[in-house]
Amino acid sequence: MTLLAPAALWMSLIGAAVVALYLLKIKRRRQTVPALEFWLQLAGQKQVRSLFQRLKRWVSLALWLLIVACLVMAIGNPVLSLGKTKPQAIVVIVDNSASMQTLEPSDDGLSRTRLAMAIDAVGELTSRRPISDEWLLIEAGRQPRVLAPWTMDRKTICDAAAAITPHLGSADLAPAQALAEQLLTGKERPCIVLVSDGSAGQAATLTAKNPTSVYWPIGKTSDNLGIVRLRVRADREQSAHHAYINVVNASEGHVDTQVVFELDGSTTSVEPISIDGRASWEKTIPINAPQGGVLRAWIDRSDSLVPDNEAFAVLEPVRKATVVLVAPASESFYFEQALAAMEALVDVDASRTLTVEEYDRAGPAHAGADLTIFNNCRPALLPKTGQFVFINDWPADVPAKFSGVMEGPEMSMVQRDHPLCRYVNAAAVSLARAKRVDLPERATIVARSSDGSPLIFLIEHPDRAILCLAFDVLESDLPFRNAFPLLLRNTVSYLVTQQAAVVPDQCRIADTIEPLRKLPEDVTEVAYQLQGQAADRAGAVPVRNGTFVFDRTQRAGPVRFSIGADSVYTAINLTDAAETRIEPDKAGRPPQDALALTGRLFGTVPWVALAVLATALVGVEWLTYHRRWTE
Amino acid sequence: MPQELFDKDFLKKLEYLDLIARRLVFGRQQALRPSDRKGASIEFKDFREYSPGDDPRTVDWSVYARLGELVIKLFRQEEELDLWVLLDTSGSMDFGEPNKFDYARRVAAALAYIGMSNMDSASVVPFTTEPERGRPGLRGRGKIFPLLDYLSDLRCGGTTELASMAKAFSRRVRRPGLVVLVSDFYGLSGACRALDQLRFFKHQIYVIQVAAPWEIDPPIRGELRLVDCETNSHEDLTITDSMLKRYRGAFERFSSELRSYGMRYSIGYAQARTEVPFDEFLLRVLQRGGLVA
Repeated sequence: MTLLAPAALWMSLIGAAVVALYLLKIKRRRQTVPALEFWLQLAGQKQVRSLFQRLKRWVSLALWLLIVACLVMAIGNPVLSLGKTKPQAIVVIVDNSASMQTLEPSDDGLSRTRLAMAIDAVGELTSRRPISDEWLLIEAGRQPRVLAPWTMDRKTICDAAAAITPHLGSADLAPAQALAEQLLTGKERPCIVLVSDGSAGQAATLTAKNPTSVYWPIGKTSDNLGIVRLRVRADREQSAHHAYINVVNASEGHVDTQVVFELDGSTTSVEPISIDGRASWEKTIPINAPQGGVLRAWIDRSDSLVPDNEAFAVLEPVRKATVVLVAPASESFYFEQALAAMEALVDVDASRTLTVEEYDRAGPAHAGADLTIFNNCRPALLPKTGQFVFINDWPADVPAKFSGVMEGPEMSMVQRDHPLCRYVNAAAVSLARAKRVDLPERATIVARSSDGSPLIFLIEHPDRAILCLAFDVLESDLPFRNAFPLLLRNTVSYLVTQQAAVVPDQCRIADTIEPLRKLPEDVTEVAYQLQGQAADRAGAVPVRNGTFVFDRTQRAGPVRFSIGADSVYTAINLTDAAETRIEPDKAGRPPQDALALTGRLFGTVPWVALAVLATALVGVEWLTYHRRWTE
Repeated sequence: MPQELFDKDFLKKLEYLDLIARRLVFGRQQALRPSDRKGASIEFKDFREYSPGDDPRTVDWSVYARLGELVIKLFRQEEELDLWVLLDTSGSMDFGEPNKFDYARRVAAALAYIGMSNMDSASVVPFTTEPERGRPGLRGRGKIFPLLDYLSDLRCGGTTELASMAKAFSRRVRRPGLVVLVSDFYGLSGACRALDQLRFFKHQIYVIQVAAPWEIDPPIRGELRLVDCETNSHEDLTITDSMLKRYRGAFERFSSELRSYGMRYSIGYAQARTEVPFDEFLLRVLQRGGLVA
């Protein structure tokens, strides 16, 4: 046993005062009597002579000395670790991610969240470590945050831990650990304690890399079913949407339940699901809602973790694409015919054919087109956003450089399963010649020549997608083949669907939302409304330099942005498999041993046990004295 | 004359007690009390054959005339009553409030005064383990002041040995008298032996047990070091309510046994509680009788 506050031993001098006070207390008053023998006969020999009778008067003093000893030892804060415990600088990282909201059953029938258990663990950790330790507390939410700077006051740490609020999104423990390591620089005997449910193995990995890290596992249960992905894609041909959902069963047993889909609060579909333990279930479900809306999918089952039982998706209204064809007047015929044949996809009335001069003069007025096709021409200035198809020529800022010409290349499709290649058979297409192109690595080659030179390739950016054909269509027999309208159709369908929205349709909890492209200059603020929560919350964020930052994404649900006259939606979701898989990682070594926590006396920390014992002894002393057992 | 112990008020009470005593006790008798011994009084007691040396004046000639035998007449002897007041001066008597010794001295003085005023011989003998000389053979009221001075100068101390005191007293005083023993009588076995010793020497005995209120109901409790006022020996005791209860019972038994012992052997007994004025006590004793049989 080691005293962490040995200065408390000076308080042993209180024992001398106790002895002095006790001697004063038991000092007997003199009383003269006429015949002492008379009294002795009355008292009997037992009271005076018995060894026990003589000794029991000192029992009270012994009790008081024991009480003083207990109090001195309690103030000295003893640790029962055989002298191995030394003061350390300890950074406590508390994981407050969504999985820490898992309800853990307890013996008393009352469930507690893992975060509450983590807060208790911090209390236990601080109370069973030397008082000379230095502490720092970090919250490992989406971003690590120091909740309590370096302090030796354990109460400050415990209070800060108790004030941790749950973060309903994913957590990344690595930045928190990196921050802790940075803050521990120069500290003697550094130590990092990760209080977490493991974060899908991240905690164990981090502690394995850093020998000064100790993983304090929280929780036991694994009973959970969660939606880890919900995406929606518009089907313009069918004027509908397809919702893709992926559900993970994190528990060990088989689960039969159902997923309910609600569109703007009305149930549109119910899908029964049956998942084996540790398995996942996925399905694409058609949603017939061309008008769009907010889709909510939720699992009709109560489990340990609630936040991942629902997910949201935004259904954009399905509308026909507006296509602008920029081509010399004599070279637009085949394209116009092919586009006119795609009434289900293309808004023929809104689509136009321009010459490149007309296009350049119109400038940004055509930026609103869903797709712009340049045939054998290129604009003076390529817009930063939008979807474009360049045939046989493209601007210099397209990262594909001409390096030569190929004569009579044979074309073959590279990725048969790519949406652009759907139903397209280019094997028999004859090309008079084609340009040899050097592509950046991120380009997707859709078709190439026999010597591997790309003939059709796709360059995608977040705000801009460009499909390039490195040959002149009119110098081939492609317009006479079925492949031509099919390729155009696939292009319109794919690129328009992938068109850059103003805001992302999905984001994770605690992510910041920024517009995907620059907003018009006349927009100075964007109004928002958080929906699907207990109380809808609305407000506005300012727009500066054509962009804004929205960070009120702490809860799952859709948020509507009003940008000018338009409204756009973003769905905020947890949808993280790492959070859904709630089974905690197992610590390699019990954290109590790794941290050399002091042993327990009577099931609690020694100083508390000693204080309680001292109190009990005071009661015993009082009882024995007033019942005259020790007087 | 010390004002505190024997003041004018005390003397007035003595006069009053003397008058009461004359009416209650001595008014029925002569100052000289008949004894069983044969003597020279005028009261006939018996006849005896004449022996050479007998006083011829005692020969009953009428009997000689009828029977022709010389017989002499015997007469009952009249003698004085000796009052012996044995006063305990051991350390245990200097105790209590009112003080037992002061009380005992007043009682002794009063008894001696009553005895002196009735032409008896009154003696006051202090004692501890042995009887002191005291003031023996006091006669006449005029002797009261030297007696009071003597009693005022008495001091307590030492231990009591009643048995040895009685043995020594018997050796010194052969003629039976009225012995009034004023003491607290702690050590009952020794007291009984002392009374036996006096009884065997044909003394009339009257015991006065002096007890202070403290002794009857001690107002003490708790952790105490009890110190014997005679020997200065001490013992640490815890006085509890139950022990006090036992003490009161034991003291009552102690007094009862002393009284019972006296009744068995025609020994007068009175308990003098010091909170009762001594004149009231003596008046009650005189009214009850037994002090002078």
